[in-house]
Amino acid sequence: MAEQKILLHTSGLTIGYPSGKNKSKAIAGPLDLALFAGQLVCLLGPNGCGKSTLLRTISGLQEPLGGGIELEGKNLRQLKPSQVAKKISLVLTDNVRSGNLDVYSLIALGRYPYSGWLGILTEQDKLIIDQAIKATGTGAFLGRKIDSLSDGECQKVMLARAMAQDTPLIILDEPTAHLDLPSRIQLMRLLHQLAKETNKAILLSTHELDLALQVADQIWLMSSGGGLDAGLPEELVLNGAFQHAFNKDEIEFDAATGTFNIHYAGKQTISVTGDSTTAFWTRKALVRNGFSISATAEKKLTVSGEDSHPVWEVDDNGKRAVYTTLSEFLDTIKI
Amino acid sequence: MNKIKVLVLLSLLVTAFLLDVAMGSVHIPLKDVIKVLFTPDAGNDTWVYIIEKIRLPKALTAIIVGCGLSVSGLQMQTLFRNPLAGPSVLGITAGASLGVALVMLSAGSITSLYTIKELGISGSWLIIMASSLGAALIMILIVGISSSLKDNVIVLIVGVMIGNITLSVISIWQYFSSPELIKDYLLWTFGSLGGVTGGQLLILAVVVAAGLLISFLSSKLLDALLLGDNYARSMGLTVKRARILIIASTSILAGGITAFCGPIGFIGIAVPHLARALFSTSNHRILIPACCLIGTVLMLICDIIAQMPGSQTVLPINVITALVGSPVVIWVIAGPKKLRGF
Amino acid sequence: MMRKINCRSVSGIFPCLILSLLLITSCKQQPSGQKHTSAKTGSAEIKYAKGFNIDYYDTYKLVSIYSGSGTHADTVQYVLLKKGVKAPEGYKKAQLIQIPVKSLVAMSSMHIALAEFAGSADAITGLGSMLYVNSPAVRKNIAAGKVKEIGIDGTMNNEILISMKPDLVMVMGNPDAKFNKYETLTGAGVPVMLNSEWLETTPLGRAEWVKLMAALMDKETLVNTKFETVEKEYNRLAEIGRKAVSFPSVIVNMPYKGTWYVPDGDNYMVKFFKDAGASYKWADLHGKGSMPLNFEAVAPVALKADFWVNTGTMKSKNEIKATDNRYADFKPFKADQIYNNNKKVNDIGSNDYWESGAVNPQLVLGDLIKIFHPELKLNHELVYYKQLN
Repeated sequence: MAEQKILLHTSGLTIGYPSGKNKSKAIAGPLDLALFAGQLVCLLGPNGCGKSTLLRTISGLQEPLGGGIELEGKNLRQLKPSQVAKKISLVLTDNVRSGNLDVYSLIALGRYPYSGWLGILTEQDKLIIDQAIKATGTGAFLGRKIDSLSDGECQKVMLARAMAQDTPLIILDEPTAHLDLPSRIQLMRLLHQLAKETNKAILLSTHELDLALQVADQIWLMSSGGGLDAGLPEELVLNGAFQHAFNKDEIEFDAATGTFNIHYAGKQTISVTGDSTTAFWTRKALVRNGFSISATAEKKLTVSGEDSHPVWEVDDNGKRAVYTTLSEFLDTIKI
Repeated sequence: MNKIKVLVLLSLLVTAFLLDVAMGSVHIPLKDVIKVLFTPDAGNDTWVYIIEKIRLPKALTAIIVGCGLSVSGLQMQTLFRNPLAGPSVLGITAGASLGVALVMLSAGSITSLYTIKELGISGSWLIIMASSLGAALIMILIVGISSSLKDNVIVLIVGVMIGNITLSVISIWQYFSSPELIKDYLLWTFGSLGGVTGGQLLILAVVVAAGLLISFLSSKLLDALLLGDNYARSMGLTVKRARILIIASTSILAGGITAFCGPIGFIGIAVPHLARALFSTSNHRILIPACCLIGTVLMLICDIIAQMPGSQTVLPINVITALVGSPVVIWVIAGPKKLRGF
Repeated sequence: MMRKINCRSVSGIFPCLILSLLLITSCKQQPSGQKHTSAKTGSAEIKYAKGFNIDYYDTYKLVSIYSGSGTHADTVQYVLLKKGVKAPEGYKKAQLIQIPVKSLVAMSSMHIALAEFAGSADAITGLGSMLYVNSPAVRKNIAAGKVKEIGIDGTMNNEILISMKPDLVMVMGNPDAKFNKYETLTGAGVPVMLNSEWLETTPLGRAEWVKLMAALMDKETLVNTKFETVEKEYNRLAEIGRKAVSFPSVIVNMPYKGTWYVPDGDNYMVKFFKDAGASYKWADLHGKGSMPLNFEAVAPVALKADFWVNTGTMKSKNEIKATDNRYADFKPFKADQIYNNNKKVNDIGSNDYWESGAVNPQLVLGDLIKIFHPELKLNHELVYYKQLN
């Protein structure tokens, strides 16, 4: 892999808010982080741990309480907003619908750092805008006003605007909130593509653990104590960081399935043998019905046959039974 | 499409201008009006006097005021992202009123005012200066406060409160004044396009032109502010500086106009909505000239109505702008959805 | 005075009822001055003023002040009694005033003039405002601390007034106005008189209010004689003025931007013009006394007028021009024929035109005739008017 360029890195960064005279409330830190070109980084963590604050501080919207941030080797605090604007673009949760803007004008605003005195667009500007529109698939709603779009469409437009700003780093704050599932997937896929194809660095905060684990090159896992673990998604799962970060009121992260267990450990035990998709979903059904899967259980279930014609065989202390539908099996085993 | 709209507006402007000059308490036939306007030394002395020295300056004042108030209202609506904001929302016109009240309501009791008059500074220039100083004072106060506040909403509220405090101070003054002085001040608050002539008109035109120029050059700033402070900053805008610039140009426009014509309301709130609805854009490079055009036409129409053509009396301009402006605002905000600005 | 009515017969009941009804309603008409214990001995002779009347009775005087509209529907009455005299019956709504008034609180310059004319300036113990005083006697008393400042209109200090216990408080008002403003005072036993001299439409009518002051001060003889002199002189001058060969045109007041308030035919100023031999464009219009006209409607008249008078607080042509340079186009400006009524202004800025000028209309008329008709070579020095340069 070619040497990756560091776009932004922090050293000993402490983030928080000033609270009253000469006092401040630190939320997290000290943090040493780095963003590389071509990487998609997802910032995860429970509510209130400071994700938004971290993003705002890194992008220059907010002052850090301590430590330093370097953007392409230069101290962020010493750069003028107009210089930072050419390096970092944002997609925030701020309400933009009250501006009577039409979609094209909004996207065109992304060229703000480059357009002249009066904001007149050159051919080059228009080209970049068109590319952004194409990449985000927003061509269909160009003439419409922003307040007539759905949430998903609006997010795409805001992303197009950030792309039009043509910066090596794009930071997004909870871009998938309020989106339906297909839109969320579309957006994450788009962002991943963006990072790979244009070599931009993309940093986003999200609650979508599932999608983040699939798509992120790096995960920054914040915990409520103010700490942050950074690393490959898989490493963070395997070394227990995930479990630790979300540990709260008996909520468990199951490394095997990559999901959080809603259900408490079952009272009854059963062992399940089988690798098919049916076996996978049967395990889930058993857990929902109060069972816990254990290889040493007395009840033994074997799921066999093709997925189109599955067979469930139960061996309960010698007693055997065979079922051809899942519901039949569950109804019997629950008693 | 826009070109047609501009052409229609321009022809409306010319028509309204001619009508404003042609109509009044004294009946002058239209062809004589045109004769006086375009040929020097034409006809009846009285008519020439009325048209050249009374009606023409008034119409020109209407044009200047229409432009200035509309654009300053537009800027306030954009800066605070509030459809009900207008040029007076930050208390600038209240500050101007304070200056005028100081001069008018203390007229009887201060011998120093006596001496100022002895120096040759007449009543009306005194009013203009006091008004400008009052507006400037409030402007400095607001700018000072806004540079230490991050949130625009807070600046807006502070501005409104300062306006209220100023008006209360004026009320107290009035309470202790004699009826004649109160009447003088009351007349001022009705607003008047008619008293600005000669040198005054020139200065007003220069002041408003300066304000308009600054506004137009801030078009890009204003566009960025439409997305809110955070996005604006992320696009490279120094928000505090931008805010100060916009407040300054609004103060120059609103303060200057109030100094010469008294407080005139509603045009600043209504016209930006009309401009947005008519040209269906949020781009300030288009909106600012659009506001000028529409504001001018509207102001001329209000002046025509105020003259109550044919009758000897004239209504205060503030009454007409309120009567004309309010339905416009209601129509734009509550009317067909596509006209809603915010 | 109820007669015994024999109502025994049924047919007699009906006329009995009618009679009783008549008696009851006639009793209610007492305020009109009939059916009282004492008989009227006469009335004051009031030739010009329309706003008041004074009736004389054995033991008291009855003052009636009429509403400005001339109909006597809203009359306010006052009973003037000497000290120790019992109040007459039947005047439930009237206020009682003890005469001669020894402590008077005055709210307007004209009231000071009325008192001064009656030689009773020393009776003034309170003033609405100390800013506008010309009478030397009153000023001396102010300097000696004998006069209190009460405040005007809304800021009138009721507490000071009640503690002063003046014999009378004289305010500018009219019976149409709500009396309840002054209920606190009247309830505390302080009589309040609502003068409406400012509603009179003729100069002599305005001045004649001195006779009201005379009744209050028991100085009828003195005042009647003085007023007769004033009246004679005024009428003599008015004869001269009205007989002038040509009537010059006059415009009056200062406009304010687009509006010019001009007096109409019901304004006493216009009567002055008629008597001084000047022509005034709106002399035949009747209204509330003042009309707000469009500057445009008055300017053509001003451009051709011969004289311009009463130009507010202006002291020089420069000031007028600085207010609005279009005024320099008016003929009176170009011909130096602007006269303002601020000649007699004292060191504290109070203009005597509004004080002594109100009770000396013959002096004002003399000024105006001298201004409008220099050709008559009137033997008169300008008192209140001066030419503006």
